[in-house]
Amino acid sequence: MTEYTDKIKEISKRVLAEGRVEMVIGFRKGSVPMMNQPHLATSAESVDELVWDSNCGLNLANYITDKKGTIGIIAKGCDSRNIVTHVIENKIKRDQLYIIGVPCTGMIDHHKINAMFDSEILTVEESGDQITISGNGFSETKDKQELLQENCTVCTHRNPVEYDELAGNLVEEQKNVDQYASVTKVESLSADEKWNYFEDLLSPCIRCYACRNACPLCYCPTCFVDESRPQWVGKSQDPTDVKTFHLLRAYHCAGRCTDCGACERACPMGIKIREFTKKLNKDCQELYGWEAGLSLDERPPLDTFKTDDPDEFIK
Amino acid sequence: MKLIKIDQQSWNTGIEKAKSAYRVFGPVKEKNDHEFKLLEPNEMPDVHCQNTRLSPKSIIYPQSQIMFTYSLDESKEDCRIMKEVENVKSPMAIIGVRPCDALAFPIVRKNFDTPEYQDTYWIKAYEATTFVGLACNNACGTCFCTSAGTGPFGEEGLDVLIIADGDDLYAKPITPKGESFIQTAGWTMKAEASIESRIEELKTSAESSVTSSVPTDQLKNKTTLELYDAPFWEQEAFSCINCGTCTYVCPTCWCFDVQDETHGKSGIRMRNWDSCMFPLFTNHASGHNPRNAKHERLRQRFMHKLKYYVDKYDNGIQCVGCGRCIRLCPVNIDIRKICDKMNNFDADSCVCEATSS
Amino acid sequence: MKNFLEHTGIEPGRLHFSWISSAESTKFVDVVTKITDEVKMLDPANKKYVKTEPKVD
Repeated sequence: MTEYTDKIKEISKRVLAEGRVEMVIGFRKGSVPMMNQPHLATSAESVDELVWDSNCGLNLANYITDKKGTIGIIAKGCDSRNIVTHVIENKIKRDQLYIIGVPCTGMIDHHKINAMFDSEILTVEESGDQITISGNGFSETKDKQELLQENCTVCTHRNPVEYDELAGNLVEEQKNVDQYASVTKVESLSADEKWNYFEDLLSPCIRCYACRNACPLCYCPTCFVDESRPQWVGKSQDPTDVKTFHLLRAYHCAGRCTDCGACERACPMGIKIREFTKKLNKDCQELYGWEAGLSLDERPPLDTFKTDDPDEFIK
Repeated sequence: MKLIKIDQQSWNTGIEKAKSAYRVFGPVKEKNDHEFKLLEPNEMPDVHCQNTRLSPKSIIYPQSQIMFTYSLDESKEDCRIMKEVENVKSPMAIIGVRPCDALAFPIVRKNFDTPEYQDTYWIKAYEATTFVGLACNNACGTCFCTSAGTGPFGEEGLDVLIIADGDDLYAKPITPKGESFIQTAGWTMKAEASIESRIEELKTSAESSVTSSVPTDQLKNKTTLELYDAPFWEQEAFSCINCGTCTYVCPTCWCFDVQDETHGKSGIRMRNWDSCMFPLFTNHASGHNPRNAKHERLRQRFMHKLKYYVDKYDNGIQCVGCGRCIRLCPVNIDIRKICDKMNNFDADSCVCEATSS
Repeated sequence: MKNFLEHTGIEPGRLHFSWISSAESTKFVDVVTKITDEVKMLDPANKKYVKTEPKVD
């Protein structure tokens, strides 16, 4: 994917020079391995900092919420789906945007890769579908496929669904992936086992809210955890409060989540937060045949009413 | 310098002995990463851990801490009276504190233990604790302790420094508290005299393994308002998502928020870590927020650590160079880069919009 | 919502939905009686969902 970089720069410079956009939002190389930084480019010089590789796992739609002006945005499949969701939810106008689409072959999982090695990783280099990870006294080359973020391994929308121009040729979509394998596993547990599973899952949480803040869906002016009148949830490390935050946050993403994985990527504690949203995505697919962010013309299931909506839960 | 040699066997028995007199904490691998934990019987601190994901600050200063209890039962005499919770701390020892994290405690002390105000919860925990440090033989790529007033063999904030040379460990007592820990552990074997030069060697090699150097020498000379108005804050804050990661993983961030929780007719008053990255941190009851924009919050964090603290205490920066915020920031905001920008900032050469128009 | 709560380990039978018109007083009584009976049958010792004092430290 590194070959997209030049094309991204070329398009960005052009749309800026033509006055089509006032700024381009992309990534620049980070100061530590596997961490690229969201970057706002407004001049040809700052466009030269833009890069594209397998460390662009954050979701750039997060940076256009309610933004004024005309914006060029680099969008892989999931970013484009969140841009669509933003447009549907009136967080940005489609005509403010110039979407530079990036067909994606997946992003690498820094949590997983860090856990593979006992000592510190100093460089991670990418060449085609090979990733070379090195540190003091070790260097290993692995297939990128093995190192992908979990959401990327089950992604079926690698190509942007909405774009003005592409920075590369469309890629083949993954087929026959079991999107919900992790959910099915939990579904087979008993109530107590499920409870314990999620207790354990959330035990490292420090409530930094990186998951919420990295998520393009979480744009409420005041999040429910920050409300004080009424105070919906306690502020301490009490496990019930921690869980309440995560469950309610997930609910707020129901029918909107594109499984971009930004929450998991952002979590400093490496918590698998997608375990919650994945279940809701599965339900949305099974109950309403819905996947978020695929079309500008369809309303999401939770803000529409159809007479044939499933209602077995109401007695 | 009197050094004590500890072989593997006496290390293990020493830690076990210490557990009878102290609550002993140490780095333990949990799931994928190391964290400080209260050690169970026969559980050993992992001395090969480069550093824990979170700093040991929560042992002295828990993320959530109950300070008072109260009753709302009108029939009781103490109704609506805040009663301090029992605040007696039995002796604790933290094994394997890296010198950067150790320096953080005296820094935080400047906030919690002043002639005017004493934070009894923090002070009691701090005083009950013996800090048994572990010198770093190899720095991480993100470490910059040598720029932050300490180093891989730094001793400030420690009671004992443990130095590892292969499988051999050496303990250097620094304070009387440290000596009594060594005594409790039963470590008595004097190290051979030749080891001192070996340790000097290790120290020099460790210091040269710190590859990041961040100049801080000019911070003091900068004009606060000029730095505050510097044009780079908005650019640097662009990627910031305003989560609390940097502040929560930081060993020197000390801010907290006080909350009451009532259940039925009784309740507790507690404090929880808070973060200047959150809009709520400064939100006034009126609804006005003096730090409403994210670059204002990001600026606050760095100005506090690298300018306000520097000016107020004349004690270097409020950062120990542990590099956690660099490693864990979800959007790669790097304090080394920002410190560099602040240290090199020249307001005169900066043509900002206000003066150019 | 019900699916999701159950997915996270809250026993089925703790959350009920019903559509009751203001005119259907008997249905209201029936539903509430049924719900209280069903909830009572669940493990009463299982108070993990109830937060009293925050468990911290």
